[in-house]
Order: sequence, then C-alpha cells, then structure tokens
Amino acid sequence: MKYGLALTLLFGILLLVAIGWLQSAKAAGVSLRAQNTPEQAVQNLLRSVREKNWPKAQAQLANANQVDSSAFVYDLAGGDGSLRTYSTLEDSEVSVLHQDADDALVRVKLNWSTAVGSLSDTRDLKVVRRGKENDWKVFWPVSQVPKLPAQVMAVNYLRWDVVNRGPEGEWGTASIDPPKVRIISMNAIERNDSVIVMGEVVNEDTIPAYLNVNAALVDANGVEFRHEGSFDKVSHILLPSQVTPYLIDFPKLQLNQLKQVRMDANVAAVPASADPVIGVMNQRLETNTVGNKVLAGELVNQSGQTVNIAHVLATCYDNNGKVIWVSDEYVDRALLPTTPQPFAVDLPADVAARVQRFRVMANQYTRGAS
Amino acid sequence: MIAERSPVGRPIPLLLILLLVAAVHGPLLLMQLPAKASYDTNFHIFFASHYAQHWFNPWNEKWFAGFSQTTYPPLGHQLVALLSYAVGLNAAYGLVQFLALLLLPVGVYRFAKLWVDDTSASYAALGSVFLGAVAFLVYSAGQLSTILAAPLYLNAVPYFYHWARHGKLRSLLKGVMLGLAAASVHHVTLLFGAIFFAIPVLWLAWMDERAEAGGNSGTKVLLRGASFAALMIVGVAVVLLPYWISILQHPIKQIPIPHASRSNFLFNPLYGFNYFVVPYGAMILALPFILFRGASVPRLRPLLISFWFAFIFGLGGTTPLPKWLLGRAFDILTFERFTLWASLLALPIVGLLAVDLLRRYPRAAATGLSLAAVGTFALAMAWLDMSPFHATGGLNVDSVVSFLNRDGHDRYRYLTLGFGNALPKISTYTEAPSVDGEYNSARLLPEMTDYGAAQLTSAKFFGTAGMDSLRAMLKHANRYGLKYIFVHDQYYEPLLVFAGWRQIETYDGGTITVWSKEDVAPARKIESDAVPAPWEGLLWGILPIGTAFLSVLFLILLPDRRRLPQVLMVPVRTNDALYVREGNS
Repeated sequence: MKYGLALTLLFGILLLVAIGWLQSAKAAGVSLRAQNTPEQAVQNLLRSVREKNWPKAQAQLANANQVDSSAFVYDLAGGDGSLRTYSTLEDSEVSVLHQDADDALVRVKLNWSTAVGSLSDTRDLKVVRRGKENDWKVFWPVSQVPKLPAQVMAVNYLRWDVVNRGPEGEWGTASIDPPKVRIISMNAIERNDSVIVMGEVVNEDTIPAYLNVNAALVDANGVEFRHEGSFDKVSHILLPSQVTPYLIDFPKLQLNQLKQVRMDANVAAVPASADPVIGVMNQRLETNTVGNKVLAGELVNQSGQTVNIAHVLATCYDNNGKVIWVSDEYVDRALLPTTPQPFAVDLPADVAARVQRFRVMANQYTRGAS
Repeated sequence: MIAERSPVGRPIPLLLILLLVAAVHGPLLLMQLPAKASYDTNFHIFFASHYAQHWFNPWNEKWFAGFSQTTYPPLGHQLVALLSYAVGLNAAYGLVQFLALLLLPVGVYRFAKLWVDDTSASYAALGSVFLGAVAFLVYSAGQLSTILAAPLYLNAVPYFYHWARHGKLRSLLKGVMLGLAAASVHHVTLLFGAIFFAIPVLWLAWMDERAEAGGNSGTKVLLRGASFAALMIVGVAVVLLPYWISILQHPIKQIPIPHASRSNFLFNPLYGFNYFVVPYGAMILALPFILFRGASVPRLRPLLISFWFAFIFGLGGTTPLPKWLLGRAFDILTFERFTLWASLLALPIVGLLAVDLLRRYPRAAATGLSLAAVGTFALAMAWLDMSPFHATGGLNVDSVVSFLNRDGHDRYRYLTLGFGNALPKISTYTEAPSVDGEYNSARLLPEMTDYGAAQLTSAKFFGTAGMDSLRAMLKHANRYGLKYIFVHDQYYEPLLVFAGWRQIETYDGGTITVWSKEDVAPARKIESDAVPAPWEGLLWGILPIGTAFLSVLFLILLPDRRRLPQVLMVPVRTNDALYVREGNS
C-alpha cells in the first residue's frame, strides 16, 4: 500500500482527463465513428472549414475529384479582398431537410464573424453515400474562380479635392462652408421593443458632403434623454444631388416614452470621387429558399478597379411615398469590373406586404482608397 | 542519509544561488525583455505610472472612460512607481521583477526546508532559477504580480509553520505581515495561495506535532493555525478594504471572455505545448518520481496532494475538475499561474530527486540535471520567438503618442485597433483618455461587458463577440467623445469606412493609420458610481505599501535565530531518507 496514494492520484488524473476529453469531444461535435449520418458529414466538413484546412475539407467531398481546389477555396475563403477574406466561420446550424437511403438534402446556416460584424449564409447541400466504407459525403456544387479577360477600361468620372490651409488643417475642418444637405423625410416607428427613426437626406449642393445623421429623443418635459447616430445605416459620402436613406435604432424603448425627435445632419466638405460607379440591376421582391421576403438584384461594378466590399442600402416606400423601412446587407463577394454580383436584402414580412416602391444604393470599400 | 563529506551532502550556499539569479535573469531584465516580449508588462507599467502621478487617487480616467485601480491590489505597481522616481518606469519595473526573482529561491529554500533536508532544499532553490513556469510568466506573460506574490507567500508560510508548532509571537508577526504584503500584490494568489501553500503546511505542522508530542497536541497547532488565519482575514479585509468595496459594489457580471489557458489541451496541442510543455519543461520527466516519492513518504503527502490539485488546475479545461470546483469563477480566472504554483510545490521533491541522482551517479547526474535545467529555461526563452502567439508590447507607438499629445487631440477619447498589448504603452505616455483598456475586471461600460470579448484593440480575435462589442462602441462614439482611432491592422478598415470614419494620417510607412470622425465633440467626464471616496484613496496609498515596509522592519528587528548544525538524535522516526525539520525562528 506504499504507493496506494500515488496510484490513486494517477488514476484520478487519467479519469479526469478522460472525462474532460469526452466533454470537449461532445461540445465540439466529434464522434468516434465519423460521418455515419448526413448531419455528421456536413459537420465534419464545416469543422475543416472552420480550421481553414482546405485540403482536408476537399478530401471529405463526394465529388472531390471534380471540384477545382482554387474554386473551392474561393467559394469558402473568398478572394480579391472580399468581405469573405475578412471572415471566419464561427458556428453553423445544420438540419436535414430530406433523407433517403443513399442521398440527403441538408440545410446549413453558416454564421460568419466578419470585419463588419456577424453575417449568415444559408445553403442547401446534397449529401450522398459514397466510398468503400459507405460513408456519407457532401456533394459540393462545382464552380469556377471568376476570370476576367484582359482589357483596358476608360474612366471618366468626377472628382473633388479639398485644399487645406496648412498642416494643421484636418479633413472636414477646413474653412470651407459645409455643403447644403437637407433631411427630406423622417418617420419614427416602434418595432421589437425598439424605436426606429428612418428617412432620407439629400445633398442639394454642388460639392460632395460628408454626412452623419443623429437623432435625439425628447421626453414630455422637453428633455433630450437618448441620442443615437445612423452608424452604417447611411451613406456617409453624398455626392451632389445624391439621396441616402438613414436608419437610427433606439433599443429597449417604446414610442409612447418620447414626445419629439430632434434630427441633426452633421455635414462637412470632403474630397470624394464618383468612381467606382456601382449599378443596381434587376431589382425585385422575391421569397428566398428559407421562405423569407427579400429584395434581390445584382450589383455591377462599372469601373475598372475591383470593389472589395459593397454595402447595399434599400429604402422601402408605401403607396404614399413614405419611407417605411430601410434595410441593408453587406455583400461577401468582391465586385469585379463589369461582373454582376447578386445581392438579397432581407425585409420583414409585414413591411414586404406594404412596399409599393423601393430604391437601392450601394456604398463601397476599396482597399487603399480610404 | 547523505554523507556530509560528499559535495552533494552540503547545501548550495544561498548567496551562490542569488548570484546565479543575477547572472541568468539580470541581463534579460536589463535588456527590458519583458516590456518587449511579454503580454502584461505594459499593463503593470501603466498602473504604476498612475500611482507615480496620483498616489492617493486610484481613479484613472485613461481607460474605459474612467475606472478604479482599487480593482487590483497595488503593492507591485506602487513599488514600481516609487522606484520610477529614481530610474524611470521601465527600469523600475525591471528592478521590482528582479527583486521578485531574488526572493523566489529564498522562498523556495525556506519552504522546501519544511519538507526536506537542507541540501535538497538548496537544490530546489537552485531549480527555481531555471523553472520554465517562471521564465514563461516573467518573459512571455509578464505577470509581475504573480511572480512577486508567490515568493512572498513562500517566505511567509515557514513562519506560519513555526507559529503553529511553537507559538512564537515573532513568527506570527513576520508571517502575517509577509502574507499581507503578498495579498497586497496579488488577489488571486491570496485566494489560492492560502489553499495550495498554507493548508499543506498546517497539515504538516499538525503531523509533526503529533509525531513529536503525541496525543492531542495537534489541536494546539490547529488552533494556532486558525488564529493566524483569523489575523490574516482581518488584515486583508483592512489593508485591501477599497478592493473589497469595489468588488462588492460591482461584482464581475460580464459575459465570460475566452482564454486559451481554459482550453482542453488535448484538443488544442499548441495550447498544450504553450501551457504545459513550456512551463514544466524537464520537470515533466520528474512527474512519476514526484508522484511516487511524494506518496511513499508520509510527511510529503500533504505537499503531494496540494501539488496534485495545482497540477490539475494548471491543465485548465483539459479536465472538468477546475470547472466543477470553481463554477463561474472558472470563466474569469486564467490558469497558467496554477502551473507556476504546481512547479513550486513540486520543487522540494524535485530537490530530493536531484540529490538522490547526484549521490548515485555524480557525473552523469550533474550533467543531466544541468542540461535539464538549462534546457527547460532555454525552451521557455526560445518559445518567445518560436511560438505562433506573439505579444505586440514592443510595437513602436511614438507616432501615436506624439499625435495624441499635440494640437489638443487629448481633449478627445481614442481607440486603438490591432495594437494588442501596446495599448498600455500609449496610455502611459499620453494624457488622452481611451474607451478601451487592458484590464477586463475593471470594465463597466455596457458596450464591453455585454459581450464576451476582452480588449477592443484585439476585437477580431474574439470573433462575433469582439466585433459586435466594437460596433457597439463605435455606435456610441459621440457619447464618449471618441474621435480618433489608430489602426495597426487593415482588418478593421472596412468597418471604419462604413461607420463614417475617415483616414487622416499615416505613420511608419503605412503600418499605422489615424482615423477621425468629424461630428464628435470633446470628451466629457462620464459619471460613475465606481469612483473611490477620498478616504479610500488615502487608505490605498498607505496600507499596502505599509505592509511591505513593516515586513522589512520586522525581518530586521526580529531576525531569525541562527540554527546551529543539528545532529539528529537516534531514533529517527522514519524509514525514509532524511527530512530535517527547521529549528525555531
């Protein structure tokens, strides 16, 4: 019994490590028998995607030989400085829609952590039984990396520069009269325990404007009690005559708690360029695969440089021309010159039912052009 | 028993070990390596810089739109602040760290002497110089407080033992005062040091008392132990009163922030290497010996059991035991410090192993042990470079500091993105306030506490939680007067562009860019109920540093009685190798 304590402690360590392993394995979705269900096959694939282990991920595909490696990586990891290249797969929700003996359809919602916040991407994947071990494997849709023909594109666009007084001058603080910008509409509604203020702003000047829209809520005593800004639910650079929607969210508030909304459009003159021009094509209201109403369409980059990240802002109007909703969506693919890129902006079902007209505009981020 | 004539039979002089500490760590600290390579050094220097300027005002406006430094025991920082008046902040930090490293072998030696003979204890002390966990915490983690508090506790517990055994008042005074000084350095060591170091020592005192006096004499030991504990509780309650007030007023309710030391190392081999292989080094080879020798000698069993728990805790989330025992605290603590404590608890037994080996195979053991010690230390140092995890504390932030300190830019709050632990370095050298900060427990702004992410400057590493927290803060830029953002990672640029910031300056060949938002008004004071009362500031400025001065005073005025060479009388009540008990002090 001299070593009884030692053996007890040793056994204790081994037991605790084993329990810890089982707990962690369960939490990570690791199973001892790999890919014995369609759900597990998808989860194993997504684990490799999360680890950015692309060769391993591709090896798990049923059609691994048919899928082009670079296209597979481009699809999941992105390219051309797109938002997907700034993304990490954080988690996923997998559900089996349909299953037969040898094939299944699995819906997977991929939740990405990105440079602009969290984004979701829902896909329906075909899963089939393949191989000697008769395991379930994901059948990945075959795609190609977009390739542009070499070409020369003439550009002809307006550009405005601001000349500062000297080294002490910062952008927007130069002694230049701010551009004339006007809030042309404002609508406050209550939705999901939030008060939402939305509307539109127009630049009525002949120079570009830097814009921030802020709102202050005033209570019955005339006291301003909440302030919020439009953050990314607005186009901060407004070219001459351009109109932007804005949306300001006041969470955990009811409409009856306020008496008045004070709007403030903060404006400054800034250097800006009309390039790149992004066209919005084929706008339409439709229902997506999950059954939600979306405002879909295509963005076309009409300039010669790649737009890395595009941000779609959609304004919805009712039959009186009143702004009833502002929705936005970051596009996770880069906009290559002249190549259409689909987008789909979610709309609440009740809003979609009332929409009579809509207008879509796109902000953009191009690396090195800030 | 080890023959006294053999060189192995004589303890290594402590002075020699201290000279070795100077030789090994002195040059590295003179190079200010922790400030360049470690994660937390800049944080400690930042706290110290505040005390250097506002000794009696622990409210610091520079982070989180204002936070109280009473949320972190101040002694280590106050010592750096005091020395900084003479040598500057960076060198002062190095000096305090050096002091901690000098105290460590002394503490290990005195602690080990409770369990093993003088020679083995001296080898344990020698081993502490090369501990991977020490090198890891000093040069990689930069945990000044952990490294300073541990030797203070190690030096306090022998007095605790002697008080419990012999009831000498001088032991009580010195033990309590050193314990209070340790508590004034680090709160986590205070809470766990008591369990890992004091309880096995009390158990040992009880065993020894019963072995010598027999009967119910152990009760006296337990009563004295309880009286020591009661004095400590009262002392800690008084000395750190502002800390308790702040903790009670604002208990940590924020969403847990992930930390790699809480991972299951089997699932994350890289973390396993970082938090297990590097800190333990060659001690891993000694683990079977520690286990079996510790279990076979009754006097070593309390030490072994304490080591076992510290070892298990050091494994973080590899086993469920820490989570079971700590509950929610598991998600607040980081676990690398438990590896240090486990190593320190193992050292007395490792000292025995060293002496055993040297006695049996003098040349081979001397070579092997030297290689193991140097190899362990070398691995920890090499890991600073080889590791995929790199601190950014050494980043040149002069351009950022210069920008903030000119043209009234410090009237606004600022934020850094991608600066990692260079943030405290910026904060140290500018008066400009930031909404961010590097001390999670002091955060009260909802934009940070509502999300499971730590510093905004490293938001992307916390995934959705981090980026959502950053978005929430940027949304409220106007509220906090947050006008300037310094970017050292292009990852953050898209969000800034879409949120309305514009790039205004570029530094260091484009690696650092400055972004500004036009409509932000100068920062105004954010009202907080966490501001300590003036009397708390007074208490905070006097009592913790007072424990350090009183400890030194007691050690000088009440010196330990020099022990004469002791001849063990026959019969020795053990079948094991010699385990000498220290004489009275």
